[in-house]
Amino acid sequence: MNVERWRRRAAWVTEHVIPHERAVRAWLARHASQEDVDDVIQESYSRCAALESVDHIDRPDAYFFSIARNLLVQRLRRARIVPIEAFAEIDAYQDDLRPSPEREAGGRIDYGRMLALIDSLPERRRRIVRMRKIEGLSQREIAERLGVSESIVENEIFRGVQAVQRAWRDGEAEAEARMNDDREQRT
Amino acid sequence: MTRRRASDIDIEAARHVARMDRDDWSDAQERELRDWLARDPRHSGALLRAQAAWMTFDPPRPAQAAQFDTPERRKWLSRRNLLAGGGAAIAASFAGALMLGGGTSYATSVGEIRRVPLADGSIAAINTASTIEVKLDDAARHVRVEQGEAWFQVAKDKQRPFVVAAGRARVRAVGTAFSVRRRAGGADVLVTEGEVEVWADGAEGHRVRLRAGARGFIADDAAIVQQPAAPSAIDRALAWRSGKVDLAGDRLDSAVAEFNRYNQRRLAIADPAIAGERLDGVFRTDDPEGFAQAVRITLGVPVDLSDPAQIRIGSPAR
Repeated sequence: MNVERWRRRAAWVTEHVIPHERAVRAWLARHASQEDVDDVIQESYSRCAALESVDHIDRPDAYFFSIARNLLVQRLRRARIVPIEAFAEIDAYQDDLRPSPEREAGGRIDYGRMLALIDSLPERRRRIVRMRKIEGLSQREIAERLGVSESIVENEIFRGVQAVQRAWRDGEAEAEARMNDDREQRT
Repeated sequence: MTRRRASDIDIEAARHVARMDRDDWSDAQERELRDWLARDPRHSGALLRAQAAWMTFDPPRPAQAAQFDTPERRKWLSRRNLLAGGGAAIAASFAGALMLGGGTSYATSVGEIRRVPLADGSIAAINTASTIEVKLDDAARHVRVEQGEAWFQVAKDKQRPFVVAAGRARVRAVGTAFSVRRRAGGADVLVTEGEVEVWADGAEGHRVRLRAGARGFIADDAAIVQQPAAPSAIDRALAWRSGKVDLAGDRLDSAVAEFNRYNQRRLAIADPAIAGERLDGVFRTDDPEGFAQAVRITLGVPVDLSDPAQIRIGSPAR
């Protein structure tokens, strides 16, 4: 996959899949251990990466969910720990992911939450991520402006990537936003 | 060798994303990334996710939003617009001419399911690729199922009988709920509530009453076949109203025919030997790929997804 296609695919995931990851994780967690959930989610993204095209996918969230569900069923079958009847139940849970106005709204990224998450980072990391993402400076320009090495900047970016990875896994983005709302209400 | 944990892979993916975020990406780094991706199939997923997560920190830009307006999105929107506005009007102008005083016509495209409230308080749920016409006047309420299938929740009105026509078949109700599906050679009627009276046009002398839970087939030759059906079977047959296909021991070939009602991307059975296999499960009508994947897992047969026009299930016969 060339770089341009890779970026477009990542943008597609950013817009259509990541916002629904928590809901899919929550569903998987009812049937599998945390370790299995992490594996299934990772493999589901691998399937998204391997797709020749995403143009035929009308409902990426439902698509992502069905990939995850099938990987889970495969895994449970291989482990032979679930009787066949349980699969009907696993299928039925698709209802949870039917589109609804609430879900549509929940499926959009609220950038205010993302800003709140950036602001919750330790000071140097927060400055570097803001300079990179909001001011649009390159890592080299940031290093020059702060008078630090480029590898320090890269390392802070690495920590920043980890923070946002975790946020989408654990729903910290939402939690952060709630705190933010509380703060706004108090003032 | 122990299997590495997903969280460890996530950390490596984050490192790669941070490095790719620099503007001095070298051939050596490119090679290193390729090697890493080749080492474990999970790596590409972890990298895609890390990249996408990192991009959620990007401020939303109008230009980017336009770029996100990918072909599938536009196709979906235009289909929507067509149905909401011009398309229905065009369909009405065609089909309307067939109606005696001209009624209102509702058409659905492949994969679309529409719920339409009618002026008398009744509700029609119209299944995929169907056309119905509705004409309400002071004396009677007439609906014609031109094509496909619809389910009706009829508002009580003793003064105005509610009569559905499908080919020669006629179904009359007062306050009840039932579905009518046009098929080759006749029409299928499923009663979910109350009672209906069915007959064939021109054979008014032979009328049959169907109660809730009953299923009747009115053939074009005016024969009426009544089948008692379990309530669960009726519910399953009407699962389309919530966008689902509900299988309970159904044959693979009939399940495939059912999915093909809803999707442009067709399912095809490449191996006739598996056509009679029985399947269970609830699936989305718009997810033939999910269904095919479930068949692959359940029956242990290959599924070929490479063709965007159709999904082939089973090994091709030699």
